[in-house]
Amino acid sequence: MTFVRLTPEQLTARNRRNRAIATGLIAFMVLIFVVTALNLKRNIDARAALNAPVAATGDRAG
Amino acid sequence: MARTDVTPVLSTAQPEDFFQLLKPRVMSLVIFTAVTGLVVASGTLDWLSSAIAILCIAVGAGAAGALNMALEGETDALMRRTRGRPVAAGRINKSDALTFGIVLSIFSVMLLGMTTNWVAASLLGLTIIYYAGFYTLLLKRRTPQNIVIGGAAGAFPPVIGWAAATGSAPWQAWLLFAIIFLWTPPHSWALALYSTGDYARAGIPMMPVVRGAKSTRLQVLIYSLVFVPVAVAPGLAGMGGPIYLTVSIVGGLAFLALAVRLWRSRAGDEPDKAEAVGREAALYDVRAEAKPARNLFAFSILYLMALFAALLVETLTAQALGRTLIP
Repeated sequence: MTFVRLTPEQLTARNRRNRAIATGLIAFMVLIFVVTALNLKRNIDARAALNAPVAATGDRAG
Repeated sequence: MARTDVTPVLSTAQPEDFFQLLKPRVMSLVIFTAVTGLVVASGTLDWLSSAIAILCIAVGAGAAGALNMALEGETDALMRRTRGRPVAAGRINKSDALTFGIVLSIFSVMLLGMTTNWVAASLLGLTIIYYAGFYTLLLKRRTPQNIVIGGAAGAFPPVIGWAAATGSAPWQAWLLFAIIFLWTPPHSWALALYSTGDYARAGIPMMPVVRGAKSTRLQVLIYSLVFVPVAVAPGLAGMGGPIYLTVSIVGGLAFLALAVRLWRSRAGDEPDKAEAVGREAALYDVRAEAKPARNLFAFSILYLMALFAALLVETLTAQALGRTLIP
């Protein structure tokens, strides 16, 4: 089996690319988390708004 | 196990090279027009979702740019303006650029859909396919009208911004689309008039290469005569107020004056003399014969930015005062 020995430039470039990919992935994970939280909040608010008149009617009926 | 004797390609590409694939200068114009569309729409989107939507539109536009560079590396290498691009210069190979563009396209469209709505996400996906597939692969090398039809891709961002904010794309959004769509031919052909040799070497049938400089100058004037009234229209349609009307009319008259000056000039008549001089990326450093074309090219960017900035400022001011400009 032959191995390729990277030159210092190739090694530096690869390390920098790896760090950029890691940063990108972390940023993407944070974005997905934020978007999920936002969608959850939106849906909870929407459900609360939907249930509000029903609850009010229920109170009156009770 | 059998071993192949393929020499591995060892890359020295830097993260900056990948960032260059996203065409950051084009991206900044996309961000600006998309923000304007999103703000003018006056939707109910919160600021965090708005910021993520703009990020998705910017990354989607960048992904389209990366796909364009991946598919046009050989052509770009033949043109002075583009031969320093990462794929053309050999710093990034074609398959890496393609993968990068495809991954970013998928992520940006999906994230925009999850954050805002699927109307905006579909429009973003359509824009990427239109630019990378329809324009780059089909149109660009087949017709001198390439830039007219392909210009639609650059005109979509304000519509996507509008759709992200409201979930729909009413006629006001398409008016913003029309402004960029009609602005593109005079803008691009002004540049082509002093890059004719480059396009001819690369085999791209730009208007000055196929129809000649005289016909191109006339078409620039005709498109300018159609474009300027459309640029003023948002002011008359109630989307913009006095600032927008002033900017669009005064800037429009200056635009027309430069288009007339270009029409009466001999810019592009002698391609070898008209070409840009100096550095590879120099867009503004041209010989005397090409100055009318260079002036219109430079002013067209300023005018488009001013139009959208005026719209943005007036809408934000109106929102701060509790009024709405959209009828």
